[in-house]
Amino acid sequence: MRIYSIAVYLFLYVPIGIIVLFSFNAGRHASELRGLSVQWYGIALSNPFVGDAFFTSLVVALSVAILSSLMGTAAALALQRLKGTLRVLFDGMIYISVMIPGIVIGIATLVALVTVFNFLNPLLASVWSEGVKPPKLHMGYASVIAAHTLFTMSLVIILVRARIAGMDRTLIEASMDLYATPWRTFYQITLPQIYPAILAGFLLSFTFSFDDFIILPGYINFAVKIRISAHQIRRQQDTGLGIYQP
Amino acid sequence: MKEDSKPNGWLTAALLAPTTMWFLFMLILPLIVILVFSFGERAAAGGYAGGFTFEQYANLPARLKAFQNTMTFAPIGTLLCLIVAYPLAYYLALRVDRRYKLTLLVLVIVPFWTSLLVRTYAWIFLLGGRGIPSLLEWIGFEGVRLINTPGAVLIGIVYGYLPLMVFPIFVSLEKLDKNLLEASDDLGGTPLKTFWQITLPLSMPGIATGCMLVFILLMGEFLIPAFLGGGKVFFIGNALVDLFLQSRNWPFGSAVSVTLVVIMLITISLYMRLTMRTKTSRDESLM
Repeated sequence: MRIYSIAVYLFLYVPIGIIVLFSFNAGRHASELRGLSVQWYGIALSNPFVGDAFFTSLVVALSVAILSSLMGTAAALALQRLKGTLRVLFDGMIYISVMIPGIVIGIATLVALVTVFNFLNPLLASVWSEGVKPPKLHMGYASVIAAHTLFTMSLVIILVRARIAGMDRTLIEASMDLYATPWRTFYQITLPQIYPAILAGFLLSFTFSFDDFIILPGYINFAVKIRISAHQIRRQQDTGLGIYQP
Repeated sequence: MKEDSKPNGWLTAALLAPTTMWFLFMLILPLIVILVFSFGERAAAGGYAGGFTFEQYANLPARLKAFQNTMTFAPIGTLLCLIVAYPLAYYLALRVDRRYKLTLLVLVIVPFWTSLLVRTYAWIFLLGGRGIPSLLEWIGFEGVRLINTPGAVLIGIVYGYLPLMVFPIFVSLEKLDKNLLEASDDLGGTPLKTFWQITLPLSMPGIATGCMLVFILLMGEFLIPAFLGGGKVFFIGNALVDLFLQSRNWPFGSAVSVTLVVIMLITISLYMRLTMRTKTSRDESLM
């Protein structure tokens, strides 16, 4: 069993090792290793597209993580008071948003927002006073963040709710009996107990969003930039940063 | 109970407001648009033209292969992940010294933090002509072809989704009461019998969660088949990318999306009903 586990770890790490090895490749092609060099790191770091893409991912992932942990926790707390049809409705939506494939919801949101914007933009322009440039709704950071947040928010709700279910209710009752205000009860009793779940949700949201490129390339205006940078990265991998073989 | 501890309607509504907005605009609206589009026609220049026709749905058999591939590779991939992950999760939860447990567990997740895109590139090399096949040739097996085969796609799937399977199983095995194992041992149960009658049933919640997670994500997968399947093995995800972004046939793409969502909802509710019946406590380790 130990040998088996070592084999699985090798399986997990050999590909990563190969990427690291080839990143030091002095040659241009992934097919052969021609001595070691750090030249590709210099090229990658000085490439504005790589830097931009990294910065974009960071900003988007951080916003997504913050938004979804705040909204997800709030919703999880509120949902435990909700009963009946509304509760079933929310539960259904939470599970659908986790279940639906990223590619489907990504494209659906793209199509929906483009359609709505195409309808709203002339309307906005006609309402706007003459001579002033009307605001134009378009795809960008906001739409990407909003799309990512749908999935990660539901994830946070599920995590926090599981934690609330396992929480010691008597502490809350004790706090109430001892005349603590609801806010104080939340701050001193509930929050410390659900904190690990919120943190886990935050980290998961960040990871999912940072690694995601399904929803990203779908967005039109924004996409141009991202697609170019993805292309650039691919070309660099072609020439040494990675191991792509045509 | 005191007055202020009563459920406060306004507070509940305020806490739920942002989530409701999100569900309305980012989930329900896109789904409605897709549903409406799926009954429309393709505009001459691509995109959507209004109308009400079942033509798109009648055309679905044109993409039958993608549906068939997804519906075979997703369950097989999930099963393979389970088979590879279970012994590792078992070893980590029950056999490893407490001191190394956390480190070894973290080592399973770390690859998950690097981009799947980059890791899949690594497999293109490993399975390509100069990777494993050349090694095999050296040993004596010639002409082995790995890249662009169904096998390559399955290797990519197991590689990409293994951590998601290990984790829930580890959690349920970790919680398992070790006294039960000892009791079974004391009462003369063979190791196999102990595993079959105690360990396996008690780790069912973890198995159910892991399988569902992997299955859901596999149904929408398109990167692994695109990279390792070389156009020979394609999933619905690949068909969607093609239909929406390349050939810009939005109505047909919408019909494919709607069908995929319906298939998933049916499979998953059936699956949940099944696991709920066999296992009472499914609430633990939900994610």
